[in-house]
Amino acid sequence: MGFFEQIIVIIDRYSIYFLDGVKNTLIIAALSVVLGAVFGTLMAIMRMCRIRPLRWIATAYIEFVRGTPLMVQLMFIFYGLPMVGITFPDVSWIPNFSRFMAGVVAMSINSCAYVAEVIRSGIQAVDEGQMEAARSIGFKYGESMRLVILPQAIRNILPALGNEFVTVIKESSIVSVIGISDLMYGTNGVIALTYRSLPCLAIAACIYFILTFISSRLIALLEKRMRHGRN
Amino acid sequence: MAGTNIIEVRNLCKNFGNLQVLNDISADFKEKQVVSIIGPSGGGKSTFLRCLNLLETPTSGKIIFDGVDLCSKIDINEQRQKIGMVFQHFNLFNNMNVMKNLTVAPMRIKGMDKEEAEEKAIGFLKRMGLEDKVDSYPSQLSGGQKQRIAIVRSLMMEPSVMLFDEPTSALDPEMIGEVLDVIKQLAKEGMTMLIVTHEMRFAREVSNRILFLDGGKIDEDRPAAEFFDDPHSPRLISFLQKVL
Repeated sequence: MGFFEQIIVIIDRYSIYFLDGVKNTLIIAALSVVLGAVFGTLMAIMRMCRIRPLRWIATAYIEFVRGTPLMVQLMFIFYGLPMVGITFPDVSWIPNFSRFMAGVVAMSINSCAYVAEVIRSGIQAVDEGQMEAARSIGFKYGESMRLVILPQAIRNILPALGNEFVTVIKESSIVSVIGISDLMYGTNGVIALTYRSLPCLAIAACIYFILTFISSRLIALLEKRMRHGRN
Repeated sequence: MAGTNIIEVRNLCKNFGNLQVLNDISADFKEKQVVSIIGPSGGGKSTFLRCLNLLETPTSGKIIFDGVDLCSKIDINEQRQKIGMVFQHFNLFNNMNVMKNLTVAPMRIKGMDKEEAEEKAIGFLKRMGLEDKVDSYPSQLSGGQKQRIAIVRSLMMEPSVMLFDEPTSALDPEMIGEVLDVIKQLAKEGMTMLIVTHEMRFAREVSNRILFLDGGKIDEDRPAAEFFDDPHSPRLISFLQKVL
């Protein structure tokens, strides 16, 4: 049997493994990005605020998380935290909820640090003169931010945030090591059943590519619409 | 010139780290006076101007604007509404079109209603010959147009004094004239203005009084005509020799 025939047969017989994996991968990625964006925004605000201790905490967090492997963070949360008595609760009607939560939390913690940096650099990339002009005309700091700085910063932030989403989809493959049935986990399952690793991995790679490609196209489209009528 | 003091500067000092940029400056500015501030780069001209609306916080000293000590515990935003500022790099709000740039502050801060603000903006734009630019974004305008719009943006708030921080330094030579003409027109209408500039001829023509700022100090403070024809300070004499 040739390579492509093998692929067709595998897809035909085991598509349920892949599809189930895609579903979980997307759920984990989406939850992580949303949580990462929300907490990343808070972290970015802390990083830029005037209260020094908050700034230090945020800076330390961001530097530490970006400077350690996601794999270590994931292991730390899944194996490490229960040893000091912190466990994620089980929910009876969602299978493997605690395992799943550990994955989402680890991914979010990681993504949060990157998002915070994206937001901070997006805001700081706006010309200082914009803030000065807004303040000199009599706007308060908050109003200046809302009316002048953030609308301009969004256009810097959005493309980078899109990249972050694409990264999270790819990186989420790592949660398979703690037994979450994502796309990578499903792929390993099919390999174990068929002993045909090459076609299985090719299928997985294609699916990951389709997911990231669609996401990055959608983001590009969104960017284009936001730029409409400007520049 | 008789008239009440609108700005009184007392013993103003400003340090950036160890660098002393302004060294004990005191000066009074009267209503309807047009004062130009000239001097070499790094002499503290822009910093001085930016201290007047507290864009830079003075290290020590007092700025009294219209009887209010700006360094005391007051609402600085309220005072800034009365002090118009025009920047070297225009700093129009890039995310808003011209109309929005002009109306956002009067509407949000002064609570002016939309129709009134827009009518007022159109009036100013017509006088400048820029009424066809209402819907343009800053990136679609030339430097001279941006600067004139920036001046209108300040005027919309009806300030009692206008600060100009090198308003023509970032402009192509052929656009300088159109901006200076607007400032001259304002001078004629009796607007109180402080202008940091490198345009000597313009300074002489438009101002009542000229300050020479060098090394963080006011080195010479004279009526415009005497300033150029009969300079006293040796630093000023050598500066004028270089630039005239």
